Amino acid sequence: MNGKKTKIALFLCKCGANIADFIDLKEIESRFSGNDTTSFVETQDLLCSPAGKKNMLETIEKNKPDFVVVAACSPQMHEKTFQEVVADAGINMARMQMANIREQSAWVTTDKKKATLKAIALINAAMERSVLHDDLQPKTMECLTDLIIIGGGMAGIEAALLAANAGRKVTIVEKEISLGGSVIKIEEVAPNMECAPCLLSPRLAAVRDNKNIRVISNASVTDVLGFFGNFKVKIKRMARYVKESCIGCEACFEVCPVTVDNDFNLGLGTKKAISTLFAGSVPAAAAIDKTNCLHFTDGSCNACAAVCPFQSIDFEDTGEDIEVSAGAVIVATGCTTVNPSTVPETGYGKIENVYSMPEFERIASSNGPYGGEIRLKNGEPPRSVAVIHCVGSLSDGGVPYCSGICCMTAIKTGELLRKKNPDVEVYSIHDRLVFNGPEQQAFFEKQKEEGTHFVKTERLRDLRVVQNGTTIEISGPDFQPIAVDMVVLSTGLTPQKGTLALARMLNADLTDAGFFKADHPILRAIGSSIDGVYTAGCCASPCDVTTAITRAQAAAGDAISKLVPGRKIALEVMTTIIDEIKCAGCKLCIAVCPYKAIDFDGQKKVCVVNEAICRGCGTCAATCPGGAARAIHFSDQQIMAEIGGLLHG
Amino acid sequence: MDDFNPAIIAFVCNWCSYAGADKAGGQKLPYPSNVKLIRVMCSGRVDPQFVMKAFREGADGVMVLGCHPGDCHYRNGNMKALRRFKLLERMLSQLGIEKERFKLDWVSAGESARFQELAKKMTDTIKKLGPLHLRGMVESEVA
Ligand code: FES
Repeated sequence: MNGKKTKIALFLCKCGANIADFIDLKEIESRFSGNDTTSFVETQDLLCSPAGKKNMLETIEKNKPDFVVVAACSPQMHEKTFQEVVADAGINMARMQMANIREQSAWVTTDKKKATLKAIALINAAMERSVLHDDLQPKTMECLTDLIIIGGGMAGIEAALLAANAGRKVTIVEKEISLGGSVIKIEEVAPNMECAPCLLSPRLAAVRDNKNIRVISNASVTDVLGFFGNFKVKIKRMARYVKESCIGCEACFEVCPVTVDNDFNLGLGTKKAISTLFAGSVPAAAAIDKTNCLHFTDGSCNACAAVCPFQSIDFEDTGEDIEVSAGAVIVATGCTTVNPSTVPETGYGKIENVYSMPEFERIASSNGPYGGEIRLKNGEPPRSVAVIHCVGSLSDGGVPYCSGICCMTAIKTGELLRKKNPDVEVYSIHDRLVFNGPEQQAFFEKQKEEGTHFVKTERLRDLRVVQNGTTIEISGPDFQPIAVDMVVLSTGLTPQKGTLALARMLNADLTDAGFFKADHPILRAIGSSIDGVYTAGCCASPCDVTTAITRAQAAAGDAISKLVPGRKIALEVMTTIIDEIKCAGCKLCIAVCPYKAIDFDGQKKVCVVNEAICRGCGTCAATCPGGAARAIHFSDQQIMAEIGGLLHG
Repeated sequence: MDDFNPAIIAFVCNWCSYAGADKAGGQKLPYPSNVKLIRVMCSGRVDPQFVMKAFREGADGVMVLGCHPGDCHYRNGNMKALRRFKLLERMLSQLGIEKERFKLDWVSAGESARFQELAKKMTDTIKKLGPLHLRGMVESEVA
């Protein structure tokens, strides 16, 4: 120990019989009482009890030690408790060190003598280390309280409304020209068969009318800088050639001479080269498809501009680079479905009237290509439809997992079909069926009762779908062939395109499946691996609409509870700091930092830790060849002292 | 060698392995008292110097225990530990320290039995190897 006359107070806790019966505390007392740095040793029965803490406080106040060592249970249990006691006694909390003699000795060492010796070593290590402790002060930082939400589907909308209603300014960045995401493309949500557009419309209106919400649509995030409390998000808004003054009156649709595939309807049906996503969309403004618009291809047309009652057409629009600052980022980019053409046996893309589930959802939608009339390619209503479950799921070619919600969606098909034609024959060709909870199970029973034929096969991978005259025949090794007019392929859910690129910008981790990884899978499922970056909806894993919204509300709620106007946010105290005199500017620390918390100061030619980002893992300190990076409270000197203390106890 | 009582230091990360050892305590799973723990926030914090220092100060074996790959509380500190470990392992054997005396492994917060098992195994291994003797040049090298 250093030469100064430092005094350490050692408190021994009997912990009832838990420690006292297994460790000879008398022996420990006498071992450390003689020590000239120990101001006193005090043994108590239950140190963490109110009486124990009071006694501890008074003893410290009376004896005024420089450092305090508490030999008791695990610090995971009571470090905070005893830090508070010493702080109340006027000693900096960092001057208290625990020796875990209960979990690490009393409870795991069968021989009392050995347990005592081990406890002595642990206490000695704690003492050797404690005298090197520096005082630590809580660190706080001013923060921005606004939020930015990436993705304007159901989850993004709900997160935005929650935060905006609490008074926070919110920016939603949406890649499509209007909000709504995947839910707006669904007719009804199972099992309650709630009309999805009816759920969304009032929420869209609420977003439109909320002064705290700014929507940047037809846009994408190009970069994210900063950290929790102070992010800067760079956004590229693409040109739409229609100004915000457009109210979506559709006058231009009639005069536009160009017809293109309707991508909102997944290529089913057509729209004009100037269009909105759907009637009543938010933002309401239309957009021009530049690649097909005659004004841009041959300069021959100005029809929309001529007819627009609001002079909203702007052929000169070049898009815009926008930068938005926010305290937290909520990712609500959703997920997508496996493309069934990766499973050629399904006939998808080759056989007419074989549709993916999302396509069927559009066909069945009242805002869809056929106004909600379910039709075959020849215009006739189908008399029989088969739904094949688990297409591309639980397989090497597609996704190796069960998405958990597709069975529900798949059996909804029967409900939607029978609403139009009660006599339609519906087959569900499935292996395992997954339904969660009583409502879903009841919905399944109802479908059976109402006539869906559930055909079980264990050989889903061996199905064959072939055109047979005017019908489609589905055969498999373990069921009778089925002939139908239409086939719907129920596909699993996969991460949204662009997830990896976005994760890179955010410096956030993804799971093996490619979804955003939770900060903690149970305790903090709505946090990502980066502080202040949240996930809402199914960008974190496949989920149903209810869960997507719940996650959104949880994420927004958590964010606004931490980012409060007028309040600073607490920062990690035990970060690393780099001594600029010792730093040679080798940048090894920058390479190993998991949080990009270290910058290079080009002027001074040294590395500098941003304490707002650093979480204190100490990897840089272990890497620094010059000993310039010092992990606060886990410095080289402190750990070296602990090693020595442990081996020479 | 029966009375040889090896000294073994285990550096454990705060989030997984320290908690795993705590759980072993809570379940009263006995393991040799030879194994003594030092808490670091992450296995990535373990500087090769710490391992050298432990051997120099009389440790007969050193362990570094962290979260399983993919589970590190700090994203990937354990992978940094792994890289450093590979290098250190080779250096140590050049200094005449058998590679069995140095072990890196993963213990999650729930794996109390695994922690117990690793502690027992390491103690057995070191007991078989006998005390570590650092001599002459090697001693000053390690120092
Ligand atoms: S926190 Fe356990 S290894 Fe990094």
